[in-house]
Amino acid sequence: MDTVFGVEYEGGVILAADQSNARSILTYQSNLDKITTLSPSSALGVSGPNSDLVNFSEYISKNLALYQLSNDGIQLSTHAQANYCRGELAKALRRGPYQVNCLLGGYDKSTGKGSLYWMDYLAALAKVNYGCQGYASNFCLSIMDRDWKEGLDQEQAVAIVEKCIKELQVRFLISQPNFVIKAIDKEGVRTLKFGADPSDN
Amino acid sequence: MFGPAAVTTDVLDIGTRQEEDKRRQMIASGGTGAMCASNFLGEPAAFEVPNVADPAHFCRSNFASACGAADSHQTVKFAKGTTTLAFKFNEGIIVSVDSRSTQGAYIASGTVKKVIEINPFLLGTMAGGAADCSFWERNLGMQCRMYELRNGKRITVAAASKLLANTVNSYRGYGLSMGTMVTGWDETGPQLYYVDDDGTRLKGNMFSVGSGSTYAYGVLDNYYRKDLTVEEAIDLGKRAIYHATHRDAYSGGINNLYHVTKDGWKKIHSIDVNEMHYEFAEEKKNAMSS
Amino acid sequence: MSILEYNGAAIIAMTGKDCVAIACDTRLGAQAQTVSCDFKKVFQFGKTFVGLAGLASDVQTMNSLLKFRKNLYELREEREMTPRVLSNLLSNLLYEKRFGPYFIEPVVAGLDDDNKPFLSGMDLIGAPVYTDDFVVTGTATANMYGMCETLYKKDMEPEELFETLSQALLSSVDRDALSGWGATVHIVTKDGVMTRELKGRMD
Repeated sequence: MDTVFGVEYEGGVILAADQSNARSILTYQSNLDKITTLSPSSALGVSGPNSDLVNFSEYISKNLALYQLSNDGIQLSTHAQANYCRGELAKALRRGPYQVNCLLGGYDKSTGKGSLYWMDYLAALAKVNYGCQGYASNFCLSIMDRDWKEGLDQEQAVAIVEKCIKELQVRFLISQPNFVIKAIDKEGVRTLKFGADPSDN
Repeated sequence: MFGPAAVTTDVLDIGTRQEEDKRRQMIASGGTGAMCASNFLGEPAAFEVPNVADPAHFCRSNFASACGAADSHQTVKFAKGTTTLAFKFNEGIIVSVDSRSTQGAYIASGTVKKVIEINPFLLGTMAGGAADCSFWERNLGMQCRMYELRNGKRITVAAASKLLANTVNSYRGYGLSMGTMVTGWDETGPQLYYVDDDGTRLKGNMFSVGSGSTYAYGVLDNYYRKDLTVEEAIDLGKRAIYHATHRDAYSGGINNLYHVTKDGWKKIHSIDVNEMHYEFAEEKKNAMSS
Repeated sequence: MSILEYNGAAIIAMTGKDCVAIACDTRLGAQAQTVSCDFKKVFQFGKTFVGLAGLASDVQTMNSLLKFRKNLYELREEREMTPRVLSNLLSNLLYEKRFGPYFIEPVVAGLDDDNKPFLSGMDLIGAPVYTDDFVVTGTATANMYGMCETLYKKDMEPEELFETLSQALLSSVDRDALSGWGATVHIVTKDGVMTRELKGRMD
């Protein structure tokens, strides 16, 4: 199963995800990017089957773009985006659900802060300071509990994520060699690091 | 008492078939059946088993005390759910555990002693079925004492853990559930072994067992060093348990922590993990303001 | 494990003398894993409170649905919804999904037009029960019934009601693995609503 991390810091939020696309006992690719940019200042990290991941995050991002086009360029706040995601996922839940466990990170100009939302495939939404999706959460939530505090800077937030990645490489049975780490802040969404270039296909 | 579909009345016939076989064998070999009934429970096959075609399968599917929700189909559920850990460092061994015991979502007890003091130099920890662990580790204590009396010296940790591994191995497939660490100090120094219900026995420097073990490993791996001072090691042991109890619903209560040295084990503390929560929260707040 | 127990919850509503109070824990879990310690499961609709225990996703869905229906009612009727009406609305919304239910078991607590306490609880397809003392829902129901049966007294004043309710909830969740991690209490009197956060065991 895939791994997604999210850590909030002063003025932004870090999202990170493993880059493996695996099915059954086979790894197809290890340079995937599971963090989709939803809007200029938000991104969605998804853990789940690739088909659902792509369908859901594209559906959300295109509808957010449509909203902006039909409303004089007004962009939804991160909170509104998260609740829109939740609504759509809840609707889908009783039809044939998307198997998507998400972390949505965004930056809001109005508050000057980053925010992070946790949502499972059942569409339970919670605002969190840091979070993790996938089996990895069993190993990494305690690390985040231990190290996270209010007012971290970007480097410190990345350091927590890297500790988590290191732990997975020691203890987690499933091999996840590559991770992509992104920051979302006033500059927008940008990739800080990756293990393998997602555009290299 | 039992659901009619899950457990049939032949469970009440417990042991009859085996006893009957035994008695017949005894009579055939000229012994008196009644005198020879074994009550030495450490012996393999000394327990009475249900009178069904495949007793192992029957026990496994009706009386397993598996961790997590693996026994949710069972009529009978046993007490379990745990975080325990132990690690070796330069100054000895730290053994740290929580104290919660659950039956389903119900917290059966919040004050369980999960470190079993086998003798002044040996400790065992308890994860999985509470009854399985406490019985077999008490039994191990007896076997170790027997060894001492026979040989005039203390048993090594390696041997003790092997005795336990042998015992659980003889009941493999019957649904015993235990993940235990046997630690102590013997003539070869500090020793740490992991023994579990499927007969696995491992020697190592650090183990954590139970439903909250992954959370404990997260903290342990990140802050562990061989050259920790005693104070640092104690702090690490208690923090790892605290973080596990915070995230894992089936762990909680009190943190009992032991330090094993060449003079035997010493109980360091018994702290309510809830007090730790507010203490650590305060610590974080202070770290921020400074 | 039942889907009603996937996320964990404990909610109690209790009546006093011309007042009601409702309390809930704050845990959001995914089975054994605690995800959040500030999850909302009691919602305010004017002077009425609704507590939703069960699948967290449906808790949030039902909250927005109720909010929508309650606002629509108030625009049409130009008056506030009484707790009895809200309870009936909720019951109907639940039965509407009889063959694919919302996995929630709600309680409704509020003061009616004469400031008399109103309490109701229902199952996941909307069968209502009305009581005049207390009503509980969530994963710790057995524990909560035990506590409420022993601690409850008739005609408590708001402060005593708060104390009784809080003690009942905190002691109940201390014996339940799937709920706790803090609590929120709302006390409704004719003069207004008081909300308090309780510190609970964090394990």
